[in-house]
Amino acid sequence: MRLQPFRLLEPESLPEAIEALGRLDGEARLVAGGTALVAMMRLGLVKPDRLVSLHRVPGLSRIRVDGGALELGAMTTHADIERSRAVRDGWPLLAEAVHRVATPAIRTSGTIGGNLAYAEAASDPAPALLCLNAEVQVVGSKGERAIPVTRFFRGFYEAALEPNEIVAAVRVPTPPAGARGGYVKFTPRSAEDKPLVGVAALVALDASGRCVEARIGLGGAAPTPIRAERAEHLLRGEPLTDSAARAAAETAAAEADPLSDLMGSADYRREMIRVWVRRLLIGLRDGTRG
Amino acid sequence: MTLSFTLNGQPCATEAPEHWTVLDLLRDGLGLMGTKYGCGEGVCGTCTVLADGRPIRACLVLAAHVRGRTLVTVEGLELDGRLDPIQTAFAERGAAQCGYCTPGIMLAAKALLLENPSPSEHEVREALSGNLCRCTGYTKIVEAVLAAAGSR
Repeated sequence: MRLQPFRLLEPESLPEAIEALGRLDGEARLVAGGTALVAMMRLGLVKPDRLVSLHRVPGLSRIRVDGGALELGAMTTHADIERSRAVRDGWPLLAEAVHRVATPAIRTSGTIGGNLAYAEAASDPAPALLCLNAEVQVVGSKGERAIPVTRFFRGFYEAALEPNEIVAAVRVPTPPAGARGGYVKFTPRSAEDKPLVGVAALVALDASGRCVEARIGLGGAAPTPIRAERAEHLLRGEPLTDSAARAAAETAAAEADPLSDLMGSADYRREMIRVWVRRLLIGLRDGTRG
Repeated sequence: MTLSFTLNGQPCATEAPEHWTVLDLLRDGLGLMGTKYGCGEGVCGTCTVLADGRPIRACLVLAAHVRGRTLVTVEGLELDGRLDPIQTAFAERGAAQCGYCTPGIMLAAKALLLENPSPSEHEVREALSGNLCRCTGYTKIVEAVLAAAGSR
């Protein structure tokens, strides 16, 4: 079965791509790896007249460490990120989460910029990037701006992008000294599925076991990926005991706003958030995770 | 649009409509029927081919995006009339029943062995996690890939 015909535009710079998006009549869509968009087109969920491909724009698939921050060009594939020595050494939480995206043959095409712009609640990288306080660098006809990932997801499959804006890069600061991070993904159907819930956490403990930093990112827990801020607040300054982990997990489940779909009900998701947040926090504390 | 790339070791230049995927290009443009259409949504893995040595989903990747790249399909696995060790191991161990998933599985395995010539069973299973077989139950498939790795 073929895709419905569309025009394909292949600009060679970001300004040309912005212009191509802006000048077109009808529905134009930006395409990176195509793993989400082409599948949606195949299902008839979107019917663009034109695609604007970013493949010929140079410099968008670099992995660079600059001033202590990791910079990922928007077209960097999950496969390249998970294999990058710099990412594995400096941002192991991100490497772990990206490694859990779908299957090997999807990770070779799917890109980090595409994953974020798709704004799917059940994204694997998003909870990790939320925990890492990453920011999305965006360019558009009005210039460049940086959007914290915590403010990048506006709604169900909706990113905080203006009509002609393009994700150019993702910038990830160095994690706090001594921080431990981990990502767990609960897939009740099969291992390569989207997460029913995905939990990323990053904790830094002082010598007495007290949390000096605690961040929790959740996928599948609301219409967008979210931070569990009330749960984090409960942990900061407190010893990471079993009961503290349990209380934080219960708070995370309470502040989640999950949807019901074919994978599972909202109640089931909430229950699984409670289970997996607690397990991950205890695992990070005990060094059996991350 | 005009596309040039390397296909199974040979330079290839061809015309294709802009809305074609790699799967349309291979099967309908070039008549290479070894690459199968399964789900069309990137889930089942039977359309898996190699691009620059890595597995891709031919049903999801736009044909334009393989310009200048090196593709290998199941037709290109054998070299100078000799089967790839993966093909030999699949044949010897009966690692196929209906065969519809087999081209994609062999290419996913090929990509694994190119990157990791001595994988563990877990690594084989992870590499094949995106390839569904509805007949065999995977045991013989995994055994065949491990045998192919051991035969090098």
